[in-house]
Amino acid sequence: MAKTELNTKQKTEIDDRSSLKGTLASVFFLGIFIIVTWVSVYYLFVDRF
Amino acid sequence: MHMHKLERIWLIFGTSCLVIFLTVIGVSAFYLGNKPPSCLTTVNPETVGQEKPFNEPGLHKVDGKDWEYELVFVASTFSYSPAQVEVPLGAKVKVIATTKDVIHGFEVAGTNINMMLEPGYISEYTTTFNKAGEYLIVCNEYCGAGHHLMYSKIEVVK
Repeated sequence: MAKTELNTKQKTEIDDRSSLKGTLASVFFLGIFIIVTWVSVYYLFVDRF
Repeated sequence: MHMHKLERIWLIFGTSCLVIFLTVIGVSAFYLGNKPPSCLTTVNPETVGQEKPFNEPGLHKVDGKDWEYELVFVASTFSYSPAQVEVPLGAKVKVIATTKDVIHGFEVAGTNINMMLEPGYISEYTTTFNKAGEYLIVCNEYCGAGHHLMYSKIEVVK
């Protein structure tokens, strides 16, 4: 009879060495661009009557 | 759940931006009471000229309201009535406008007053005219052959 492998001590390896620094930088680059444009338009709205 | 450290950082950043933007809109709408200029107040477009307040376009002083003046405008192809109006500096004014015929725009260039005028509906905007100068009102909804000739003027004077 086939033996189930439920109790194996094998662990799934997660590869955490991939660098996401470039992704983080581009996310923040885009995010800050959106914030700056949003804030400047909002300032324009508040400043006008 | 496994999540990369940097991934967590940008998710927090993105989510907090969304929360902040939505909070600003919520405060503006529910606390400051900002709303679209047309709030379902209706008028018969065929008898606009006889009905109050549109029978007397122009600036009127009012008492006992949150604003000091009412500025009434009637738009029609291809002009605004009145064609020119003077508003005292610092006056809190409710701009009330509608149209007799087709859809017109009502944009006071360089200000936040920018409404669509739809036949049968009254558009309103309350503001304080706190900067002196001459402001051009233009139609920004294409209304026909004379669309580009349609304008009026508000002079904010001391």
